[in-house]
Amino acid sequence: MNEDIFSIERFIAGDAEGFEILVRKYQNRTLNIVYSLIGQDRENEDIVQEVFLKVYHSLGSFRQNCQFSTWLYRITVNTTYDFLRKRKNLVNDEIAIEKSISSNDGPVEVLVKKEKKTMLEKALANIPLEYRTALVLKDIEGFDYKQIAEILCCRIGTVASKISRARQFLRGELLRLEEYLK
Amino acid sequence: MKECERVKKLLSRYLDEEITGIDAAFVKQHLDICNICNKEYLEFLKVKQLMLKKERKSLPEDYLISLLKEKITSRQYAEENISWLTGLSNLSRRLIPIPIAAIVLSVVFLIVVSGQKITAYSLDEHILSGSQTTTGMALGVILGTQN
Ligand SMILES: [Zn+2]
Repeated sequence: MNEDIFSIERFIAGDAEGFEILVRKYQNRTLNIVYSLIGQDRENEDIVQEVFLKVYHSLGSFRQNCQFSTWLYRITVNTTYDFLRKRKNLVNDEIAIEKSISSNDGPVEVLVKKEKKTMLEKALANIPLEYRTALVLKDIEGFDYKQIAEILCCRIGTVASKISRARQFLRGELLRLEEYLK
Repeated sequence: MKECERVKKLLSRYLDEEITGIDAAFVKQHLDICNICNKEYLEFLKVKQLMLKKERKSLPEDYLISLLKEKITSRQYAEENISWLTGLSNLSRRLIPIPIAAIVLSVVFLIVVSGQKITAYSLDEHILSGSQTTTGMALGVILGTQN
């Protein structure tokens, strides 16, 4: 936390190294939020870039009434939502998933193995975005409910119910996909 | 049944250790005696473990920084170019009235000149006579209508 403030102050004072320290520290965590929210996509890195460009241009006006990481992840979530809105792909196309599962190009074992590896990703993609976001921040990033509430600008009770709903969805999706793979 | 409903509401929080004290003790006790809730708890646990094991991506140390530097420099360059062009167009917009005013003034002068009754005598005669030179005369000399 204090390290981040020090880096921010360095950057504001004109030392670009301050910004670079923040990028190095948070780039992978940011990437994994994006990756978990939209799945493997060639635009994952573009979104991360856009996030840090926004940070670069508005770091001077960053108010220290919340942690830098909270602010950064809020930007990350919002930038990812913008991207999804642009692509009009808020919920993955279920037909595409079923098509990929029932496709028959190669030995069944290979297909099953491959499918199992991406099963979680597919199941995640089918969870409504707001539930998915809360769950990703909890289980991928390891935040507590209070921090998630700050990032998503909502109440702790809302976070709890979103995560609970996400797990119910995910459990249902995984059972459904497992049935396909049996 | 009422207990089961309460546990189901608390299950996810319990899993994340986001409840303590009486609530946590209540859930723990209930899970020991209720198979249905316990099954649900284990399924939630499985989902959580799966999420925790989810593949993580990483970027090479300085990869993003070099991309960002490139973008920031090109954006600054573009912004400078845009501001330079905007400045230029603003300047030209501000300068446009000058030639227009010049043309209008010239036309007015020409009308005045052609309207003035000037006695036709040479410039030498005029200078020798010592009389005052009017604006019309001067302009006439410049424009060649006066000799
Ligand atoms: Zn029960």
